Amino acid sequence: MNATGIPLKEPAISAAAGDTEQFERALIDASTRVPVLIFYTSAMAWLILGTLLAGFVSFKLHTPDLLSDISFLTWGRVRPVHMNVMVYGWASMAGMGTAIWLMARLCRTVLRYPLLLVAGAGFWNLGVFLGVCGILLGDSTGYQWLEFPSYAAIILFVAYTLVASWAVLMFRFRRGEQIYITQWYLLGAFLWFPWLYAAGQLMLFVVPVQGVLQAAVGWWYANNLLFLWFGAIGLGTAYYMIPKVIGRPVYSYHLATIGFWSYALFSSWTGMQRLVDGPFPAWMVTASIAATILTLIPVATVGLNHHMTMQGYFPLMRYSPTLRFTVFGAMSYTVFSLVGVLISLRSVARYVNFTQASIAYSHLGLYAFFTMVIFGSMYYIVPRLIGREWRYGSLIKLHFWASAYGIGLMTLMLLAGGLTQGTGMENPSLAFSESVESVLPYLRGRSLSGILLTVSHFIFAYHFGLMLFGLGRKSTVPTFLNPVEAEGAEVAH
Amino acid sequence: MNENTPPPEPPSGQGMDYSEIADVHEVHAAVQREKREPRVGREPLSIWLIAVYGLAVFFGGAYLGRFSGNFSGEALDPYGGEMPTMKKVTGPQGAQPEAELSPHDRGKKVFAANCQTCHQANGLGVAGQYPPLAGSEFTTGGSRRPAMIVLKGLTGPVTVKGQKFGAAVMQPWDKTLTDQKIADVLTYERSEWGNNASPVTAEQIAALRKELANHPNSFTEPEILAAPEEDLLGGAPGGAPPKPGEAAKPGEPPKPKG
Repeated sequence: MNATGIPLKEPAISAAAGDTEQFERALIDASTRVPVLIFYTSAMAWLILGTLLAGFVSFKLHTPDLLSDISFLTWGRVRPVHMNVMVYGWASMAGMGTAIWLMARLCRTVLRYPLLLVAGAGFWNLGVFLGVCGILLGDSTGYQWLEFPSYAAIILFVAYTLVASWAVLMFRFRRGEQIYITQWYLLGAFLWFPWLYAAGQLMLFVVPVQGVLQAAVGWWYANNLLFLWFGAIGLGTAYYMIPKVIGRPVYSYHLATIGFWSYALFSSWTGMQRLVDGPFPAWMVTASIAATILTLIPVATVGLNHHMTMQGYFPLMRYSPTLRFTVFGAMSYTVFSLVGVLISLRSVARYVNFTQASIAYSHLGLYAFFTMVIFGSMYYIVPRLIGREWRYGSLIKLHFWASAYGIGLMTLMLLAGGLTQGTGMENPSLAFSESVESVLPYLRGRSLSGILLTVSHFIFAYHFGLMLFGLGRKSTVPTFLNPVEAEGAEVAH
Repeated sequence: MNENTPPPEPPSGQGMDYSEIADVHEVHAAVQREKREPRVGREPLSIWLIAVYGLAVFFGGAYLGRFSGNFSGEALDPYGGEMPTMKKVTGPQGAQPEAELSPHDRGKKVFAANCQTCHQANGLGVAGQYPPLAGSEFTTGGSRRPAMIVLKGLTGPVTVKGQKFGAAVMQPWDKTLTDQKIADVLTYERSEWGNNASPVTAEQIAALRKELANHPNSFTEPEILAAPEEDLLGGAPGGAPPKPGEAAKPGEPPKPKG
């Protein structure tokens, strides 16, 4: 026993069996090094670019004249670039990096066909780069998160096919009978993404649907990219990292099954709730709202499963960076979903739809939930790829708090600003321009939170760079957030 | 909690090249110290969770029933009301609801669709750019001058309620709006925001339109002021002459030469 009163280390299984397992894991980790690091490094580069763009865009909202004379630096081009860099450059690439590592580990086989992944990463980077240039030159398609012009979208799709076929191949080569929960989510994500992306591209650009239905398709795509692609990878990662770090089984298999299948079933019906009061047959929008309400089922189930797994182990968040980021992300998933249900109800959407509140919702999902989980997984995975430990515990701490406070502040500012803006727009005696002006203080607050996030990302990029150049600590002890020895806790990480 | 998972099977060597790394222990300290791969417990479902499921399904289903608009492809109203345009098509008295609107209310619609962008919903315009209509001597005076402005547009500097405007150009509406719509919107403007001037009829506008048919371009302020400060003639319905606007005319604009 130790100071925290928690059994921090489970009794070792038989030494021989343990050795074999360790040996196997070491080989698998070594085989994932190059592809996963390529994905992570590219993602970090896009994250820094996307962060700078985000700050720029945020300042433009309350200082509209900022560099507005240069056509490719106008709001209408820089904002989609920011979103697409974050969605496809950072979040997708980092998520795929984590997913690749998890697939190899959980299939218990060394990574095969690494060239598929290397080529996939190369094409993906090329696709995002071309897409970004295309938007800046004015080729944007104008549909949220599908702004990349077709020549970039095709390359992205090819890259994706390479990575997804790798995932399916790996799954074919898996060893052991058990298919762990994380694998369900990852395989799901790898198969749902092409469905979403192909449907979006086909119905909007190749064989465009008529009129307002295009908006319906666009929002269905954007919302489900958040749910079925990022959501599935994020939840799968959390299902691995939480029990792994605390060394305790996931609470319940039944909860996991219900959580997964209900998530798959209800998520794909959502999307139209972002168009409340739009020119659509009422049942289309209402069906999406009802599906959003039903996503409370997977949310409650998965949340309970994680909570019960963590119960009694929460103090470990004091030490393990991975656990702290992952649990923060998993909790944000619940908040994200509850906010999602709340703002989709017609009586609330009337005030917050088409306002800054929608932006708060997207950031909750993509940042507070997904990005934080991925940060956590990177803190776990990168030392295993490089054979060095993170250099400074203090930097990890700083990264966490800057990110947590940054995204918290941003969410509050945008939600409050959205509500103010919405009530202003509902008030017929108030001129439209006044409802816009009322949001200004909140937008300035958002820019402040953007500065916090920028600091956090630069710290992380610097730390990641140190690791990449082999400047991490050479030690057998992981880097903890707080000194473990002093408090007598024994944490494996 | 179910902790007894089967012991890990020895690696079969399938897909493994164990000669790849000489000393695993040296390279991967992290692998050595980490906990074993996650397993799954088999705790049963809590009754409370099932209750939450039931609540979510009930609430979702009720919501779908309440706001589905009877699942009609043509119902935009979530309460199931039919669209007004649909009524028009179905019944022979279709135009009835439209006809029931007063000229003032019809004019309000025309105003919202065409004029509000510049002159604002409150009729106060935008200082320095768009002149106000509320309390404006042009709007509340005789109906001839505002009708001329709406029909043919206005350009150049103009002084309204003592303030100078001139940055913006008002477009001519004679090509876009019908006589009825121009009459309605003028009636609305002359009786809204505390304005209290006589209504305008479509016949009056039609007469003025004929009169101005040969006027090629937008009016300027001197041209407007040169026109007589009077109500339009022709087609006035019974009781037009009283001209409350004339009587209530405050601060008369400086009468031009003539």
